[in-house]
Amino acid sequence: MTALPAVAGPTALPRDGAASSSPWHFWAYFNAHLHQDLSWLWDHVWLSALPVVVGLVIALPLGWLARRFSWLYPPMLSISGLLYTIPSIALFVLIPPLFGLKALDPLQVPIALTVYSVALLVRVVADGLASVPEEVVQAATAMGFGPFKRLIKVELPIAVPVISAGLRVATVSNVSLVAVAGTIGLNNLGQLFTTGFQLSSPTAYYPPIVLGIVLCVALALTFDLTIVLTSRLLTPWRRAVQGQ
Amino acid sequence: MIANVFHWLTNSAHWDDHNGSAGIATQIRTHMSYSLLAVLIALVIALPLGLVIGHTGKGTALVTAANTLRALPTVGVLVLLTVMISPHFHGRTDLGYVLPTEIVLVFLAIPPILSNTYAGVQNVGGATRDAAAAMGMTGTQVLRQVEFPLSLPLIFSGLRSATLQVIATATIASYLPLGGLGRFIYDGLAQQDFPQMIGGGVLVALLALITDLVLGLIQRNVVSRGISGRFSSKTTAIGGAASADIIQAEVATV
Amino acid sequence: MKSKVLIIGAAGAALALSLNACSSKAKAKTASTTSAAAGSSSTSSSGAPAAGGGVASQLILGGPPEFQTRVDGVSGLAKIYGVKFKSYKVLDTGGPVTVTALKNGQVDAADLFTTDPSIAANNFVILADPKSNFAAQNVLPIINKAKATDGVKKTLNAISAKLDTPGLAALMVKVITNKQDPDAVAKQWLADNKLDATGTDAAGATLTVGSANFPENVLLADIYADALKAQGASTSTKLNIGSREKYVPGLKDGSIDLMPEYNGSILQYLDKTATATSPTDVLAALQKVLPSNLIVLDQSAAQDSDAIVVTQATATKYNLKSIADLANPAS
Repeated sequence: MTALPAVAGPTALPRDGAASSSPWHFWAYFNAHLHQDLSWLWDHVWLSALPVVVGLVIALPLGWLARRFSWLYPPMLSISGLLYTIPSIALFVLIPPLFGLKALDPLQVPIALTVYSVALLVRVVADGLASVPEEVVQAATAMGFGPFKRLIKVELPIAVPVISAGLRVATVSNVSLVAVAGTIGLNNLGQLFTTGFQLSSPTAYYPPIVLGIVLCVALALTFDLTIVLTSRLLTPWRRAVQGQ
Repeated sequence: MIANVFHWLTNSAHWDDHNGSAGIATQIRTHMSYSLLAVLIALVIALPLGLVIGHTGKGTALVTAANTLRALPTVGVLVLLTVMISPHFHGRTDLGYVLPTEIVLVFLAIPPILSNTYAGVQNVGGATRDAAAAMGMTGTQVLRQVEFPLSLPLIFSGLRSATLQVIATATIASYLPLGGLGRFIYDGLAQQDFPQMIGGGVLVALLALITDLVLGLIQRNVVSRGISGRFSSKTTAIGGAASADIIQAEVATV
Repeated sequence: MKSKVLIIGAAGAALALSLNACSSKAKAKTASTTSAAAGSSSTSSSGAPAAGGGVASQLILGGPPEFQTRVDGVSGLAKIYGVKFKSYKVLDTGGPVTVTALKNGQVDAADLFTTDPSIAANNFVILADPKSNFAAQNVLPIINKAKATDGVKKTLNAISAKLDTPGLAALMVKVITNKQDPDAVAKQWLADNKLDATGTDAAGATLTVGSANFPENVLLADIYADALKAQGASTSTKLNIGSREKYVPGLKDGSIDLMPEYNGSILQYLDKTATATSPTDVLAALQKVLPSNLIVLDQSAAQDSDAIVVTQATATKYNLKSIADLANPAS
């Protein structure tokens, strides 16, 4: 490499200019790239949360249908199982041509993840509604609840624990899936892995990689905790029963 | 588009190896060997562990800990392990990349198998256990002859979810310089060769479905009909918690 | 009950057996992307006599996925030099995977970038390219015509005027060897070259700056974005998008407005039959084949070309100095 200039010599490199490669310096890395990292974190938050919310909105009526017309349940299980076997990286790239989006439209990630979320949540909603004891439904009917009011006031609240278990799985897996999209150039915490990987030459450069893992795990656990707490708030009677 | 994908899949030249690059047939074999190895390792670790934890009721914290594994971003762990491990392998070997891939896939497969095995043993009724003990069975006998067979339906559902997940995720091997069906997806992406990319995706899905079908057949032959009959969709015997466990297992990560 | 357990055991054993058969086959045939004998740890030269006769037919080449289909990739090496490698192994775009694979002997030759400090750090040898398989690769901005106001052009041309090959190589040492933040290095370079003065040349412009998936391109995108921002433009970045095959459609459909490019590579991407090799010829040819919504601005003196790189040991063993030597008969 004759093109290498004189400044490449070690003496010309200010020691303080070089960043540490130690895995434990991820926090220093975070502080040094605060603006960029926070913007990726925020992208990651909405990219993983939005699909679950949209997915739930779509899955509620579908799951109710599958419960109401039981012949729908088996084919729905097969379809949701099938959707889950599609590798996410293929789905990400497939979405833009299917939906007429631009090649790098950030919407391709939430749309793909919504597909996964709906596949998972339809089943969860149906199972959740199935977990409502028959005598409760009959009691509600006897008290004069119409089908819709019964669904909203009685069946759905009782299904909350099962549905929230499904939401937890969907959200936590979304956090991991969004990072995959970072490897194909979409802005989110996955970019930290790409960055760290690319700079791991000639020796490993851990800080961005470790930071990415730490932030992803923290995000997943925060989502998880939020859903658990919300579910508890929505089902006060469960605590009352447990307290006895 | 669909015609092009179909053409890519049915072109026999794409199935054979030539000029030193692997064809579809070879990549399917590679993909399956990475996937099955990971599931097998996970099974060897998680199955005995789940049985023992379910039987003794001790060490449930391990099940919780395994479930937190799910929060780990797959790509991140893969990159971390790769930059740690791969520089230490010299010569014509892919072990430096196979190892990180297998570790990540095993991480993925352990939680569904472990939590389902544990839940399966847990769900065996106290009366059943007492009856077995009353018949003079020792603790090990109860576990091997009563609890294990009774929990097979849940164990199988965990195993099947783990396998689905691992086969779909094994595509990340090709984020590293490894083979498998992910090669078509990543290469198709870099070359903007959509038929190749989508064809690769279709093959992964097909492979996962066929494997699930085979496991379903094995399950049918292995699980006593008296047991499987209990798990119709109407039964609430396993309740919300167990059904959540099953749901938890069914998440692909890549 | 007992028989059921036995059946499971048998099924498990069968599974294990078939897996063993499977994986050993896979190892013998393709534990890798290639069908090279990945199981053997010996170096390639100890193999059977090469079919094609040339040195290359005993060697494995590694590089990014798209190098297999690029005009100046595997096919260009075959057409121009008659060099055919034993097999091609997909690695990454001149990144750590490629460097490690070359250093540790997973491949014998690799496609790297000439400004990569890893080449000097590992004593790799760049094989000369006397027949110009790789055309001139001057760095230049490619930009959406509608976004290229006079002020934006002025700002970017000022950057190209200051950028040269040694300067770029020095920046790469900072980014790759010292792990300095590309954006900080970009700002420092702009300051060192007195290009960081705030102004209003680009005021009112809104641009999305993209980059390919390797550090140098990320750095160049940061330099463009920071300079434009200093001149009042509102910029956002989409870094690490991927290969040219992936980001050029983004440039065409307006997802990205501006990218740092290399004139020879983009020319060959747009015109597979291009023959120009000198910087001026390449630029002239490029102007003719650009998509209607894109233009290129002034090109810089900085060159960063693809290069076929081997280890010192391989170079000595086969007496390799240029790509042409790879076609020599194997001794």
